[in-house]
Amino acid sequence: MRSGRMRLALALAVVTGLVAAVAACGGGDGGSGGSGKTLNVLIGANTQYPQEQQAWQKSIAEQFKAQTGAQVKWETFASANDELTKIQTSVVAGSGPDVYAVGTTFTPTAYATKAFVTLGDQEWQKIGGKDKFIASTLGISGPDEQHRIGIPWVGRPFVMAYNTELLSAAGIQHPATTWDELTEQAKKLTNGDQHGLAVAYKDNYDPWKFIWGMSVQAGNPIVDGRTARLQDPVVRKAYETYFGWLTTDKVVDPAAVGWTNSQAIAAFAEGRTGYMALTSALAAKALDAGAVKGKWRFALLPTVPPGAAARPANGVEAASILSGDNLLIAGYSKAKELAFQFVKLITDQPAQLEIYRQLGQLPSNAAAAQSLQSDPNLKVVVEAQLKSKATPFSGAWADVQLALTNAVVQSIPELAKGSITGAQIDGRLADAQKSAQSALDRVK
Amino acid sequence: MTILQRRPQQQAVAEPHRRGVTRRQRPLWLLAPGGVLLVVVVAVPLGLAVWISLIDLDQYTLRRWVEAPFLGLGNYAESLDTALLHSIWVSVSFAVLATAITVPIGVAAALVTQNAYRGRAVVRAIFLIPYVLPSFVVATVWRTMLQPDGVVNAWLGGLGGLWLSGPRSYWALVLVEVWAAWPFIYLMALAALQSVESEVYEASAVDGATWWPKLTRVVLPYLRGPVLLACLLATLNHINNFTLPFVLFGAPAPEDVTVMPMLVYVTSFQSLRFGLSAAMAVVSMIIIAIPLFVYLRAVRLDVHEQEARR
Repeated sequence: MRSGRMRLALALAVVTGLVAAVAACGGGDGGSGGSGKTLNVLIGANTQYPQEQQAWQKSIAEQFKAQTGAQVKWETFASANDELTKIQTSVVAGSGPDVYAVGTTFTPTAYATKAFVTLGDQEWQKIGGKDKFIASTLGISGPDEQHRIGIPWVGRPFVMAYNTELLSAAGIQHPATTWDELTEQAKKLTNGDQHGLAVAYKDNYDPWKFIWGMSVQAGNPIVDGRTARLQDPVVRKAYETYFGWLTTDKVVDPAAVGWTNSQAIAAFAEGRTGYMALTSALAAKALDAGAVKGKWRFALLPTVPPGAAARPANGVEAASILSGDNLLIAGYSKAKELAFQFVKLITDQPAQLEIYRQLGQLPSNAAAAQSLQSDPNLKVVVEAQLKSKATPFSGAWADVQLALTNAVVQSIPELAKGSITGAQIDGRLADAQKSAQSALDRVK
Repeated sequence: MTILQRRPQQQAVAEPHRRGVTRRQRPLWLLAPGGVLLVVVVAVPLGLAVWISLIDLDQYTLRRWVEAPFLGLGNYAESLDTALLHSIWVSVSFAVLATAITVPIGVAAALVTQNAYRGRAVVRAIFLIPYVLPSFVVATVWRTMLQPDGVVNAWLGGLGGLWLSGPRSYWALVLVEVWAAWPFIYLMALAALQSVESEVYEASAVDGATWWPKLTRVVLPYLRGPVLLACLLATLNHINNFTLPFVLFGAPAPEDVTVMPMLVYVTSFQSLRFGLSAAMAVVSMIIIAIPLFVYLRAVRLDVHEQEARR
């Protein structure tokens, strides 16, 4: 009997312990007052500036504590997979971080889960109002103005970098503003082991940005409602131009068929390439460490589609995809008021300038961005931010993006041989169209 | 005396009734914790995977996944309509090929380091380097070496080409996998060689056996069981290897190296179709389990146990 009681007591203790542990894992300290409470925040780990990121986190946590009395508990994810896994488990379990920082192109996917707070007028007021943000940065916060979940935090617009010395030597007065002009300038810059363009054909994220940009400039949004428009002369022309730099124009190093973005930047940094075709302000440190130090500048990506001297009437002046991070507040959070206060803090001008200084991330706060325009090199990046256009806000966009990239991945053997036929491009586009349309058909 | 002799018999009869478990049953009862663990670690996730494969679970239904629409075999039908069969073929052929190449290398390396000689410890340590390096490091180093303007093409001169895209990517995957995995076979073969008693070598030496008969009729029969087991484990490891192809080729991968783990990864984490990817995983498991079962029956890895029974 005694041993039976002991077993019962032991079992009760174990169950009690487990319940306590589960409750502790649930976190979630409710209420709007902050003292003694904790706010869980998930952000991406910055592998380029890890120490600076830690310093920034410490500084923000101190400011937040001084303001609200609450602690900030930071969680970081190393890759998009980690981020997705964390969101999945939190969404299914109904507990986890209170605030998420996610990539802009991931926001439609997050919206599809319906697990995040939709921001009405009252919520926007709590974080300082919509007007404090650069208008374009709100372009990928939700499907429409009434259903926004993403609060713009930082921007990473895409631009080109060019070698001032090489352009000057080739007699080029100003960087190209149309894709055709870029090709012509690249031809002038190509000579022996010097190349006009550095392009990362093997990168998993770069290729679709070129195709999307050229297509929307020509008036094809790629996704039109619930229809994919990949089998289209405009998209075909975009691929022909992108591949043509390597196969017909021969303005790219043949080794670029194996390059990721960082390899292309490294090649440009060696000083024997005219343009780095797609980069962001984050590359500045790497470029200043290379042979191009003091000899490079940023320029806007062309905004006139290939084969045209001016943008057509239905074309969009897209200088970059709307790139950066949005903040999302979890619907299950029991600390939403604290979350709003935290979001306000890190999107207000002082914190936005601080993150720019520490990590090179561009502000989404309009006043902070305005104050950075005095630096001429940065002015271009801020302009790219202003002229950024959002990719389609659809839960199917991840698949569309994948289909556009896959068409390049599977074409690399032909690119390496130096020629790709129109029929081969059409075949890849047919596969991409099928895959993208199938994803759009599943949208719920 | 008579009473003393009878008591244990009475107890033996009474005990099962009191505890409800016979002595014969007791070992099974002791296995219960392991059984429970097996259910929690293997059976529950497997059951969940099968359930997920039957529902329409994606980013739209994730939050209320219990209410996700039931599709029956819809995901299975769709998985067979996609690149799954191609991926299974790529995975299985690559895994069998990698195993077939690593076995002779591993066994030869084990034989080379069996007898004591000066510097043997160093050789053994060097042989283990590929095995102790993390897959991520191995793939990153090889990815750099196999670039179009990398050292491999520099060495090969005119024979070089595109290794990380197109048809040659398949052979690049086999090459890197072989480089990273052969020490596993080596370790298993070396362990088996250590268990061969010295009397066996002495007896064959006394009988006047030269090195070839000694190798084929004395040493290799001892290796049969462990190496066949190593083949099984190595093949499964090759099939399940995700890190190596992912780091070498990225995602989306070239069609020639779209192995099963890559296809399931892309379906799950890029297309966010968890139901479809679960169906792909279940189909792959069944397709691989059948030849594995046949293999296990054919090679009879319990050969030593049977000999002991005789």
